[in-house]
Amino acid sequence: MFKKNYKLLAMFLTIMLLVAGLSGCGQSSNEAATAEVKDSLVVATTYDAKSLDPHATNDVASSNVMQQIYENLVTLDENNQVIPQLAEKFEKLDDKTYKFYLRKGVKFHNGEELKASDVKFTFERALAKGGSIKHIVGDIDPNGFEIVDDYTIIIRTKVPSTAFLPSLIHVGGGSILNEKAVKEAGDDYGMNPVGTGPFKFVSWAKGDKIVLKRNEDYYGEKPKFSELVIRAIPEATNRTIELESGGVDIAYSITPNDVSRVEENPDLKLLRKIDNSTTYLGFNCEKAPFDDERVRQAISYALDTESIVKSVFRGVGGVAIGPVAPNVNYYNANLGKPDYDVEKAKKLLAEAGYKDGFKTVLWTNDKKERIDMATIIQNQLKQIGIEVEIQVLEWSAYLEGLKQKQQDMFIVGWTCQTPDPDMALYGPFHSSMKGNNNFTFFGDEKVDELIEKGRLLEDSKERQEVYYEIQKLIREKSPWVFLNNGEQVVGVRKNVKGFTPSPFGYHKLYNVYFEDQQ
Amino acid sequence: MLKYVSRRVLLLIPVLIGVAFIVFTLLYLTPGDPARMVLGEQAPQEAVDELREEMGLNDPFFVQFGRYVYKATIKHDLGRSYITKRPVTQELLNVFPTTLKLASLSMVIAVIIGIPFGIISAIKQYSVFDSVVMVFALIGISMPVFWLGLLLILFFAVKLGWLPSSGFYSFKHMILPALTLGAQSIAIITRMTRSSMLEVIRQDYIRTVRAKGQKERLVILRHALGNALIPVITIAGIQFGILLGGAVLTEVIFSVPGVGRLMVEAIKMRDYPIVQGGVLYIAIAFSVVNLLVDLLYAYVDPRIRAQYR
Repeated sequence: MFKKNYKLLAMFLTIMLLVAGLSGCGQSSNEAATAEVKDSLVVATTYDAKSLDPHATNDVASSNVMQQIYENLVTLDENNQVIPQLAEKFEKLDDKTYKFYLRKGVKFHNGEELKASDVKFTFERALAKGGSIKHIVGDIDPNGFEIVDDYTIIIRTKVPSTAFLPSLIHVGGGSILNEKAVKEAGDDYGMNPVGTGPFKFVSWAKGDKIVLKRNEDYYGEKPKFSELVIRAIPEATNRTIELESGGVDIAYSITPNDVSRVEENPDLKLLRKIDNSTTYLGFNCEKAPFDDERVRQAISYALDTESIVKSVFRGVGGVAIGPVAPNVNYYNANLGKPDYDVEKAKKLLAEAGYKDGFKTVLWTNDKKERIDMATIIQNQLKQIGIEVEIQVLEWSAYLEGLKQKQQDMFIVGWTCQTPDPDMALYGPFHSSMKGNNNFTFFGDEKVDELIEKGRLLEDSKERQEVYYEIQKLIREKSPWVFLNNGEQVVGVRKNVKGFTPSPFGYHKLYNVYFEDQQ
Repeated sequence: MLKYVSRRVLLLIPVLIGVAFIVFTLLYLTPGDPARMVLGEQAPQEAVDELREEMGLNDPFFVQFGRYVYKATIKHDLGRSYITKRPVTQELLNVFPTTLKLASLSMVIAVIIGIPFGIISAIKQYSVFDSVVMVFALIGISMPVFWLGLLLILFFAVKLGWLPSSGFYSFKHMILPALTLGAQSIAIITRMTRSSMLEVIRQDYIRTVRAKGQKERLVILRHALGNALIPVITIAGIQFGILLGGAVLTEVIFSVPGVGRLMVEAIKMRDYPIVQGGVLYIAIAFSVVNLLVDLLYAYVDPRIRAQYR
């Protein structure tokens, strides 16, 4: 009896040790290699990409990777001006017609040369399949493509729109794909991306890491390192620990908790940039009592947003002052910080007929910062007699409820995905977008008119005035109480140079180099 | 024996269909729109509606379920992920080896530590050693996994810098997650071994052996251990099944790309085909482990073996 059991146990243990042990072999080699010559950049992100097909998704994690693989017809310079990228130059022929001259001799990662037909194919596919980026490319006329020759293409828009050119810088909406590569890969294209950018796709271990390598045929300046590894580390503390221990060179989204740890560590640097996201408290403007402008204004006066932002984000991000974030064109800095005036709030509330306040419900999703903000808001509104019940909803149930107009007050965010203010305003404030992205069901003739006018105007002093006016009007009508602008907080190892955080939340990595690589 | 095994395997079919039905119903009733999750919050509604139609989400419940079962059974096709568009089977196979490694290593640790400690505890009942082990076992069972994980990271990765805190690339990377994951199993196996051992050494036949003058060491190892191990095998099997099902928290804390993390992300993104496939996989893994345990059981215990003939 004993002998048999003993053997059995031994066998069981051996098998298990083998399984566990074998797995350890053969995979530690690349760690040793990176220690000698720094030729590999490792970046920690918060989530794994969803897909690397630009038309299949529109999330920051995916864009972060696609940014290194794909290029667009145009890109942005450091002053938010649209400049050529794959297009050598471009012309605006009339209000709705744009002509692009493509750079010659550009090779896709599969060896194919970039042709005008690829551009046509890309945008036709984006219009047909790209539900997630329809708000970016929606202005393009599906029948408006005209291939002049292999290197020249004309693209028409359905309506005149000045926001069209800036929208082409968007990673999902503007990336140029190769027709052959997309057709060959079929459903698997999202896992086998082919672009013209400085990095080529190598492998993707789902939930773990994506490996890219330098595109040796790149026409522009080649990256200084040959391998780029993008790791998904969802635990915030762990990202910081990996950065401290040298496991990664760059870590995104350092939380307020860890900011000082990174700052105080002599081996690390902290880089920050206010981004294009705005978190706001929204009202259901079609439901009493929020259909009364004065009630919304009263709440706006009753909230001390500066202290809310300070206590919740502890110095990360900034107080939002209007619907357009600071790095977006025509940001109206003149609006100034929102006034905090409880007496005025009480007066307005009394004028609106709610002298003793009222009861209402505040929705948020289960993001810790938003719940904290909701709690403070609940407290501050008590001063003017408004009794707030907080409800925390799961994200997709939350979105569903918002669309069906079941909300009273809610906290959510909006991110402007292009440098043009039209993207910041049309979706959430135009009355035609009610229930779509306009979750406050806000509609105002004057605002509608100005938004429509603004998208037609050429960049000019006049356009600036229109957008300043819209921002002022929205502050007055208060469908939102502006809470905060997000901030990209990135930790890098001291020897990492050339990294600039982008306000879009996804960052270019091909300009990065290590100090000793100078 | 063969008859027994085949009956058990056949029993899997109704179990799996039942599991599939329950998961399908739950997901169907869950608020949230997979099409919206695929396209992102800023996508216009028309695009979402279009995709819903394309994904077949507008069909009645039984049509959807029927289609799923038909494809799964007749065509061996569990569908494709909504997000990555890759086949579900492939997605699961990609992460399965990681979870298998992690679960096996945890199990090895649990068995190597748990069984000897349990035996010694039982022999020296009420001694200091016994008390200490039992206190640790209690802590092991009641300590939240994420807390233990973070403690281990703080100590071994941050303070001492011996082990990496995330990823799953080399043996070194596996130690902390395996310890974290194994902690509960160690505690459970220790306690089980102890109590089962205590019961066995009070049996008449053990007294008889002792009376015959057998050495104490051999009394324990040769005569008591075999019988005491039977319930331990059961518990260990159940534990292993649980570990294979994906140790969600451990995998998230240590960024281990295993089944648990895949499932969490799939649930968050409303990636229904992955969730359904994943739950089916867990059901299968559990059933197979249970079957193996039962067979092992029969092998160890002649009384049980006799029943299967």
